Amino acid sequence: MTIGAESLAAVGGAVALAGGLGGAAIGMAIAGYKGVATLAEQPQYLRSVIILAAIPMSCGLYGLIVLIIILTVVVPKIAAMPDPGGSGFAVVACSVIAACAFAFSGISLGSVCGSGISSLIKTRGQILTNALVLAVFVELIAVLGVVFTILALTMLGLM
Amino acid sequence: MSQSKEELKAKMIADPSSLATLGGGIALAGGLLGSSWGIGLAASAGIATISQDHRQLKNVIILAAIPMSQTLYGLIILIITLRVVAPKIVAMPDPVGSGLAVVALGVMAAVAFATSAAYKGSVLASGIAFLPKTRGRILTNCLMLAVFVELIAVLGVVFTILALSMLGLM
Repeated sequence: MTIGAESLAAVGGAVALAGGLGGAAIGMAIAGYKGVATLAEQPQYLRSVIILAAIPMSCGLYGLIVLIIILTVVVPKIAAMPDPGGSGFAVVACSVIAACAFAFSGISLGSVCGSGISSLIKTRGQILTNALVLAVFVELIAVLGVVFTILALTMLGLM
Repeated sequence: MSQSKEELKAKMIADPSSLATLGGGIALAGGLLGSSWGIGLAASAGIATISQDHRQLKNVIILAAIPMSQTLYGLIILIITLRVVAPKIVAMPDPVGSGLAVVALGVMAAVAFATSAAYKGSVLASGIAFLPKTRGRILTNCLMLAVFVELIAVLGVVFTILALSMLGLM
């Protein structure tokens, strides 16, 4: 039994979303347990803690974007090809880019936001803006993951 | 008979140019992984520094952004693989073997990018931690030491291109 190119492409989308969800879960957990420690001392920082702890969730959304692109654009295009060859495997290869980017940027976002949450009490909440600025750097890597996956799919003629 | 069946199965799942794509993808994945890891390390240290001395924000932003370069190196390898190697691989005497060789070179580049970005992050985190004590003067020296680790990533690009040329794939 052989695996069709379309189902391999769907596996690729799933790998990208799995990477995003894994990274988002680990990152939110890292930021969340530091948030619990901060709230135990000073409950009035609840708003800032919730803002910072929710940021790693974005990696899950990026994974969803890649899955939707693959299922709605790439899979019909592969199905229309007379000889798909290794196109499905190439989609899996492109998804590895996205999955690695989302998983590790989610984890790193969690550690940056967690560090910000730990500094909330010392700076009386003023660290929030600076923590968001530095979190955007890590976020950028996840965005680059989406962009480069789309770039690679375009260069392969699959989009 | 069974061999030709296996060949057909291999052809159905992965052809040589898609193996080359996997190699380029692994290289870019390594770059993205290392960049996010390194920026995460440097930015976590940066937040602790800013909470101590908020005037160091500019220096922290400069130092925390440096591990991003490995992503660009990964992109260079991916573009070389897709534009130069993948079209050339079909004409090789053993395309499947050449495809696997490209995957192996992608792993080499990925390890170079991931580890150099992560360790550059730790060099920069160390520099960021000393910013308040030295009133920002550690910036230049820290950049100099970060360039040493950066060199390993550049060598990763150079040696991947060298190996691709030696295999006749470029």
